[in-house]
Amino acid sequence: MVTTYLRRAYSSFLAHVVDIPPRLLAFILILLWASVPVFKPDGYTLTILVSTNIWAIFVASWDLLVGFTGQMSLGHALFYGIGGYSTALLFKYFQLPVWITIPLSVVVVFSFAIILSYPALRVKGPYLAMTTMAFALIASSVLYIFPEITGADSGVRKLPLLFPLKLFRREGISALESVYQQTLAYYYFTFISLVITLLILYKVTHSKTGIVLVSVLDDELASKASGINVDKFKVMAFALSALFAGYAGCLQVHFVSFADPGLFALTFSFLPVIVTILGGIGTIYGPVIGVFVYQILNEIFFRKVIKIPLEIYQAKLLIFIAVILILVIKWPRGIGRFITDKLKDLEEARDIDERGPRIWKTYKKKGKKIGVIARVRARLKK
Amino acid sequence: MHLLQIENLTKRFGGLTAVDNVSFHIDEGEIVGVIGPNGAGKTTLFNLISGFLNADSGIVKFKGENITRAAPHEIVNKGIARTFQVVRPFRHLPVIANVMVALRSPRGSRKIEWIKTFERKAVDMLEDVGLTELMLEPAENVGHGDLKRLEMARALATEPDLLMLDEPFGGLNPLETDFLTKSIQRIHLDNPMRGIVIVEHKLYALMKIVKRVIVLHQGRKIAEGKPEEIAKNKEVIEVYMGKAM
Repeated sequence: MVTTYLRRAYSSFLAHVVDIPPRLLAFILILLWASVPVFKPDGYTLTILVSTNIWAIFVASWDLLVGFTGQMSLGHALFYGIGGYSTALLFKYFQLPVWITIPLSVVVVFSFAIILSYPALRVKGPYLAMTTMAFALIASSVLYIFPEITGADSGVRKLPLLFPLKLFRREGISALESVYQQTLAYYYFTFISLVITLLILYKVTHSKTGIVLVSVLDDELASKASGINVDKFKVMAFALSALFAGYAGCLQVHFVSFADPGLFALTFSFLPVIVTILGGIGTIYGPVIGVFVYQILNEIFFRKVIKIPLEIYQAKLLIFIAVILILVIKWPRGIGRFITDKLKDLEEARDIDERGPRIWKTYKKKGKKIGVIARVRARLKK
Repeated sequence: MHLLQIENLTKRFGGLTAVDNVSFHIDEGEIVGVIGPNGAGKTTLFNLISGFLNADSGIVKFKGENITRAAPHEIVNKGIARTFQVVRPFRHLPVIANVMVALRSPRGSRKIEWIKTFERKAVDMLEDVGLTELMLEPAENVGHGDLKRLEMARALATEPDLLMLDEPFGGLNPLETDFLTKSIQRIHLDNPMRGIVIVEHKLYALMKIVKRVIVLHQGRKIAEGKPEEIAKNKEVIEVYMGKAM
């Protein structure tokens, strides 16, 4: 009985994942990402990877709002910060455990976004971008008006961690090793959060509701003429996007164990823009690929692999800009879109080929790659 | 009770009176043409009825209900669907998804019979206007004539009781015009109780379909009647051709 069940699961896995190249690639990437600790990264790299996971949740939520619904937001750090600060303040004043403050503060961000969306969504395009940016700036200055509550520049400190260190203190394990294991726990927690976030966002944007969101992006007027309550869908996208951004903020705060005004920084508002240009807008997975490329280039490649000497460390920025420029010129639609376009061509080629249904058969046929170029060449020969 | 009743509707843009004290009505199952030279206020009239503009004075009644101040999407869900003079497809979406957007509206989803799936219904809508081959093509790759038909399929997807077509023949070649004429007639036969209003410049195509014509000039209604009568009306000829020397 168990074997039939397993066999059925295996065959549906073949049909729904292996036979569809983009899903297969996504599956392989997720497996690879889940098995990063096998490669034994050092503590620093692992810490960077944890914050990359958190930022990936943040930028994916931005793509739902901007890439799919077309509501330009340059103040997404607002939700990141509100998420972080509300969980911090809930701990400071009520001493609630982490597992309660995080869901509560996600709810806080959600309701905050709904309230804010009413004034914000009255304006469009660049005006909306300016308005949201102003919101983020106002929020960060509000922190300095109530220094007793928010702690102003020093922020709220000594917050509880998601995984306290004492969980990892055991006999025969050095202190360094237990810190490493703690970071590893964080890594897996944020990674699973990221995968779940991506699945939810992908499901939402590729459902019937997602079609309506894109219609709002394309032509608001025509969407109204089709009987769609545009405002309702805009508020929905705003709130859903804020929810995940706020969740990312909570994770960040409980990872570094303090909340400071840096959460509202403009850097965080512009991060999604940069990585989305890199990865491809309106894809959900695009910004995630973008943020990984950005972080790996910025933190790991330049510091660990190239080892730029400290005297000219500022030159890093120049190299970084050059690399990003090259990537954008090479793939103007973003890395993510480039990959999926290639895979789509591959899929078409597989459908044309009669010899076998499986992707690798087409791919490995006589050691030749059947891509766009090969097919165009074949057509020209005829 | 008339399906749509308009009483003394007026709209001013600064000093210009785009629609000036216009009153008329449309009954169930009627096909009415609205004609007039450029700038006569036909499209403004459409925008007033469908809620995209707010009237300065006057009343729009649909099935006896005052809808003068209602929002565009509310009006669509009450049963008035419109198309646009300049095509407004959702360019990032495939042709079939354009129709699905309208099917997601409260009225569109209400009208899906239990036996039909959402997708089946969308395909049926495209079949009515003959666009099934282009189903999965992104709307940005589709030609102008097909987009005109797509506009109509999108409007029909909400199952309107009153269909308002804003220059459906604009920019179409004779073959496409002929096809569209036939599909408008078929739409009429499908649901004989549905009122249809057509704004048009191409009088030749229009006169074959409509039962009644309303003529606008500089925002005012100058004539109303059967197509044959209108074609002989002196004032209408003057408006279109200029005064005799």
